[in-house]
Amino acid sequence: MADPAFLPPPATPAMSRIAKRLIVLLGLLVVHGTVNADDYETFERKVRPLLVEHCYECHSAGAKTLHGGLRLDTAEGVRQGGDSGSAVVAGKPDESLLIETVRYDGDIQMPPDGKLDADDLATLTNWVRQGAAFPPSEQTEQARHGAIDFDEGRRFWSFQPVQRQPLPDVGGSDWPQTRLDSFVLAAMQRQGLAPTERADRVTLLRRLCFDLTGLPPTPAMVGDFVQDESPDAYRRLVERLLDSPQYGEKWGRWWLDMARYTDRTASWLYQTGQSHFYRDWVVDALNQDMPYDDFVRRQLATDLMPETEPSDLPALGFISLSPTYWKELKLPCEIIKVIVADEWEERVDAVSRTFLGLTVACARCHDHKFDPISTEDYYALAGIFASCRQVERPLVPEEEYEPVRRARERVAELEAEITKRKREKPLPTETIEKLTAEIQSIKASTPQYDMPMANALSEESLFVVRAGKTAQDGTKLEYRAQSRDLPAFIRGNPNRPGNIVPRRFLTVLAEQPEPYQNGSGRLELAESIVTEAAPLTARVIVNRIWLAHFGTGLVDTPSNFGTQGSRPSHPELLDDLAAHFIDSGWSLKQLHRQILLSATWQQSSSAAAESFQRDPENRWLSRMNQRRLTFEEWRDSMLMATDELTQVIGGPSIDLDANGNRRRTLYATVHRRDMSPTLMVHDFPDPTQHSPKRTPTITALQGLYALNGPLLLNQSQSLVTRLEREVPHDPAAQIDRLYWLLFSRPPDDRELRIGMQFLKPADNDSPATRLQQYAHALLVSNQALFVE
Amino acid sequence: MPNETNSTIDRRQLLGQLGGGMGMLGAAHLLASESSPNAGPHFPAKAKRVIHLFMNGGPYQGDLFDPKPLLEKYAGTRPPGADLLTERPTGGLLPSPFQFRRRGESGIPVSELLPKLSQHIDDICVLRSLHADNPNHGPALLQMNNGTITPTRPSMGAWFLYGLGSENANLPGYVVLCPGRPVRFSILWNSAFLPSEYQGTYINHSTIDPEKMLPHLRNVRWDRQTQREQLDLLRQLNAETTAAQASTHSAPHRDRSMLDARLESMETAFRMQFEGSEAFDLNRETKQTRAAYGDGHFANGCLLARRLAERGVRFVQVYYGNGQPWDTHSGHDGTVPKLCKNIDQPIAALIADLKSRGMLEDTLIVWGGEFGRTPTSENGNGRDHNHHGFSMWMAGGGVKGGMTYGETDDFGFRAMVDKMHVHDLHATILHLLGLDHERLTYRHAGRDFRLTDVHGRVVDEIIA
Repeated sequence: MADPAFLPPPATPAMSRIAKRLIVLLGLLVVHGTVNADDYETFERKVRPLLVEHCYECHSAGAKTLHGGLRLDTAEGVRQGGDSGSAVVAGKPDESLLIETVRYDGDIQMPPDGKLDADDLATLTNWVRQGAAFPPSEQTEQARHGAIDFDEGRRFWSFQPVQRQPLPDVGGSDWPQTRLDSFVLAAMQRQGLAPTERADRVTLLRRLCFDLTGLPPTPAMVGDFVQDESPDAYRRLVERLLDSPQYGEKWGRWWLDMARYTDRTASWLYQTGQSHFYRDWVVDALNQDMPYDDFVRRQLATDLMPETEPSDLPALGFISLSPTYWKELKLPCEIIKVIVADEWEERVDAVSRTFLGLTVACARCHDHKFDPISTEDYYALAGIFASCRQVERPLVPEEEYEPVRRARERVAELEAEITKRKREKPLPTETIEKLTAEIQSIKASTPQYDMPMANALSEESLFVVRAGKTAQDGTKLEYRAQSRDLPAFIRGNPNRPGNIVPRRFLTVLAEQPEPYQNGSGRLELAESIVTEAAPLTARVIVNRIWLAHFGTGLVDTPSNFGTQGSRPSHPELLDDLAAHFIDSGWSLKQLHRQILLSATWQQSSSAAAESFQRDPENRWLSRMNQRRLTFEEWRDSMLMATDELTQVIGGPSIDLDANGNRRRTLYATVHRRDMSPTLMVHDFPDPTQHSPKRTPTITALQGLYALNGPLLLNQSQSLVTRLEREVPHDPAAQIDRLYWLLFSRPPDDRELRIGMQFLKPADNDSPATRLQQYAHALLVSNQALFVE
Repeated sequence: MPNETNSTIDRRQLLGQLGGGMGMLGAAHLLASESSPNAGPHFPAKAKRVIHLFMNGGPYQGDLFDPKPLLEKYAGTRPPGADLLTERPTGGLLPSPFQFRRRGESGIPVSELLPKLSQHIDDICVLRSLHADNPNHGPALLQMNNGTITPTRPSMGAWFLYGLGSENANLPGYVVLCPGRPVRFSILWNSAFLPSEYQGTYINHSTIDPEKMLPHLRNVRWDRQTQREQLDLLRQLNAETTAAQASTHSAPHRDRSMLDARLESMETAFRMQFEGSEAFDLNRETKQTRAAYGDGHFANGCLLARRLAERGVRFVQVYYGNGQPWDTHSGHDGTVPKLCKNIDQPIAALIADLKSRGMLEDTLIVWGGEFGRTPTSENGNGRDHNHHGFSMWMAGGGVKGGMTYGETDDFGFRAMVDKMHVHDLHATILHLLGLDHERLTYRHAGRDFRLTDVHGRVVDEIIA
C-alpha cells in the first residue's frame, strides 16, 4: 500500500505571474536543450533508470506495443506526450500528467503493477520541477502520428473501378460455354492444367438441386432430366430451380449467416417483435431477385425510403436484430458507455464486413493497422448506429395501428398499477381484480390487439448519462429524437472523448466524403455503399456467390477485401463478373445463371491425377470441388427421402428437436444465447457475429449424432415404412429404391451385393429391423453427406 | 480456410478442420514435428490440464480466505472516506461471523467453514487481489470465461484446445459439468470464431447415469454388434469407390481426405460410446473413494472431473449449481455455511485424490466465482456483488502452494496490492499450460484475437 509518510513536495508558494511565466519559459528552454551537462547527468543517473525500469516496457521504441501513444525515451516524445496530451509541463509537476499518473492521483495510474516508492516519486517530481531536462536523441524519430495516405490507399486493387475485361486468348478452345470459362481456361493454361470433363447428368442434377434449393432431386426429376435430350434441358432446369420458392429458402440461410440472424433476441428486451419477419423478408427478396443494391438499401434504411410500405419494415432486421449487451442501469455511466460503444462497434463490424468486405471495426482504438481506414472513419460510421434505435413497428399503416398502440399503452399502465398494488398489505384483491378485468376488456374490444410487430428502427439517438449528480446514482439511457455525431474516443474508450467526427462515408471510398444530412444517415450510407463504393460492393457479393457455388472464393477471405485479405486468383474474371453484375441491374439470379451455365462449374469433381498433384487446393479450378452438405441440407434431404418434409414457406420458428418438426431446418429456432446443441455440433455459425463462411469440422461428437441421434433413428424408421409401402418384401428392390431416394441413382452391382449381404436375415432381427439398420447406415454414409 | 488471412495455411487450423476430434494426439504430434510457430505448447508446460471449480453467483472473500478484523471495529458504519460503493445500495460494514484459523505450515488463515479444505492449504496459492470490470453476473461470467464482456469471443477452454488439442481422442477435450444451467449458458463455453470442435461439451450431471449425461452416447435401438456391422458396411461402401477408382487407368481421382476423415470420426464415436460410459461412470469408483468425496452434485462433479482429467480431458469446469447459488443478496450468513459444506469435503478429496495419483503436479485446479461480494450489508443481511476485489485460489499444476498473493484494502473491498485482473489470471493459466498468451492468436475479422485481448500479465510470483 502507499506509504502514508510520503507527502508531495510542498506546494510552491504564491508567486508572481511573471515568475511563473519565467519558469515555463525556462522549462521550454530546458526541454529544447539549452541546459548544462549537469542536468543531463542527473537525468541519466537518476531519472532515466527509473523510466527504463518502470516505463519503457510500454513507452519506448523498444516496446512491443506502444501504449497510449506515449514515448518516454526521447525528448520529443516527452514533450509531445501521448493520446492524453502532453506528459510533462516543465517546471510544474502539479500540472504534469506524468506526475499525476505516477502519484496515482488521477484516472490513469502508472506504473500498472504498483505505485513507485516515495524516493522514486520525489526524484521524478524534482526532475520535472527543475525543468525536465532530457538530452536530445541522436536521431529524433518523426512523430508516429502519421496521417494515412488515402490517395495511396485508393490504389489498392479492390477499390479500383470495375470494368468488363477483354476475353483472354484460349487458343481457339471450344471448351468455354460462357465468358467466365475463357478467363478460367486461360488461367489453367498458364498453369499447364486442363479442364476436367463435364460431370455426368445425374451428378450434375444433384449438384444443381443442392446448390439452388438445398434439397436433393426427386427420383422423378432424375428420370425426366436424364431422358430429356433437348439441348436446352439443362438451361431449363436451371431456370426452373431458380424460380422455385425453395431457392429463396436455401439462399436466405446463406444470407442469414452473414446477418447473424436470431429468432430470439435478448431476454431483457421488451419485445413482441417477431424475428421471422426478417427471415421471411430475406427469403422473399431473394426469390423475387430484388436487385442487390436495393437489397442493401432496404436492410439499412427502408424506413427512410419514400416508396416504403409498412410491410417492408422487417428488412431492418439486419440492424434491429443486432446483438444487444446487458446494461445494468444501477452502474455508473462510465461502465455503461463502454457497453454501448461495444454495441456500436458490433454494428460497424457487421455492416462493413457484410457489405464492403472491410474490417472497419479494427479502427475503433487506433487507425487501421493495415488498411486505409482511420479512427475518424470508424466514428463517422459508428455515429450512424448511435443515431438509430432498435424498436418494434407495426406491419400496417400508422393510422390503422393507432388504436392498438393506445390500447397497449393503457394495458401497460394498468399492468404497472397491478404490480404496484400487489406489494400492498393487505392485498387489495378487489382492486386487482377490477384492473385485471379492465385489461381483459381492452384486449377483447381492440381489434387486432395482438397484431404482429416487426423488429425495425427509429431515428433516435442514444445518450448515456448519469441518472443523478454522482456516478453512484447510476445511469440513464436517453433516447433523443435527433441524430448525433460521435467524438473519436481515444483508444476506443468512450470516457475519453476526442474530436467530434461528422457522420459520413469512409474516406478511402469517397473522394471527399460529405457529412450525411438526412437523419441518422442510414440511407445515405446505403447509397454510398452501392454508388461510391459500387465496385467494391459488387466484387464482394459476386465473390460470395462464387464461393457458395464452388466452395472457395476467387478471393478466399470473403469478408476481408483489405490488404490482409487474399488477392483474387482470377482478378480479370472477378472484375468482368462484377462489372456485368452492375450492368445487369445487380441481379443475383443472373449471376447464378452465368456460373451454373459455365463449363467450369459443370466439371466433374473426379479428375485426372495431374489436376490434384499440380493444384491440390484447386485454385485454378481444373475440376469441381467436392462439397459436404450443411446440417440443414442433410436433415432436409432426409425428410425429403421419407416424404415427410413440410413444404410451407415462412412463419414462426420451431424448436429443431420438437416432436413432429418436419419443417425445413431453416425454420429451426436460432437462439443466440441458447443455441441448439445439435446445430452447434454441426458447424452452424455463431449467431452473435457476422459469419463470412462456415468452417466445416469433422468431430467425434458429430459421429455420435450420426450413430445414435434420434433424428437418424426416426428417419430410418420412416424410410422403412415408405419402402414397405412402395416395394414390400423385395430386398433388392428396396435397396434400389433407397439408392434412388438418397443418392438419386441406382446402386451398382457391388453396392447391391453388399446391401443384400447386410439384409440377409440375422439371428434376432426381423427383416424390417435389418432394413432400418441398413437405411440408417446409408443416411450417414459419405454418399449421403457429400455432393460430387 | 476458417480464418480470414492470406498467409500460408496454418497447420493448427488445417488440423482443426480435417483432424477434427479424431485424433488430436496424433495431430499434436504432427504439429510438433513440423515445428510451426503456432503449434503445440510454446514452451514446456507445467500443467497438462485444468479443473475449474466455478462458484457461480460470486462467493464472499471475507468469509473464506481474506479475513478483515477491522470490520469488527467499524461494524455497522461506513467510515468517512472509505470507498465502498457498488451498484445496489448497501448499508454499513458487516463483519463475517465466521472464524479464521491459521492452517498448515504456511499458517495461512482459512475460514472455519472449510475445515477439510484447510488441511490442504500448503498446496494452495490463495489469490486475494482479483478484480474484474463489471459487477453484473452475465458480463462477469463472460469475462471470467471468455476474457471479455462482449459475448462474441471464444471461451478460455476453446483457446486451450486450440492451443494444445486434446489428449484423448475418444472423449471431448473440454467438458462443462453443471447440475443445471449457469446464467448465460452456452456462450460461456462456445468456440465463437474458432472451429466448432473446440467448444465445450455441456453435461448436466444432476443425474449421474452416463447415458443421460453425454448427448447421444447410447443407441436406444442398436446393440454394439449391429453398430459394428453398420460401420463395416460404411467402410465397405467407402472402400468400394476407392477400388473402382483404382481399377481404371485413366481413372479420375477423387479427393478422399474428407471422406476418410469422416469415417474415422465415426469409428472414434463408436469407441467413445464405451470409453465415455466408462469415463462418466461413477459406479466404477470404490465405495471408499465415493465416500471420500461425499454426496451431492458438487461432489459428483469433482469426482467426474478427476475421472476425466485422468483420461486426458484438457479442461473440465464444474459449476457449483443451477443459476447462481452463491448470489447471496439476503440471508447471506445462513446460506454460506450450507454452500461451504457442499464444497469443502469434495474439493479436499479432489486435491488428496489427485495428489495420491501423482496428478496434482500437472493438473491445475482453479477455484472461484465470477466476482466477490461486498463487506457492506445489503438488505441488512445480504451482500452485493463486488468486482473491485475478490479471492480465488489455484493448486497444483505448477503454482506455489502455501502462499497468498495480493491484498485488498482494510475492509476487503478493493484489490490494492499486487492487483490481479482476470486478464492476468488468464495469462497465468495459459502460461502454466505452456502457452504464451500474446502468441496464442487467431486471425479473424481482420485482426489477431487473443484470450487476453491487449492485456494480461503472467503473475510469475506464484509460479513454482
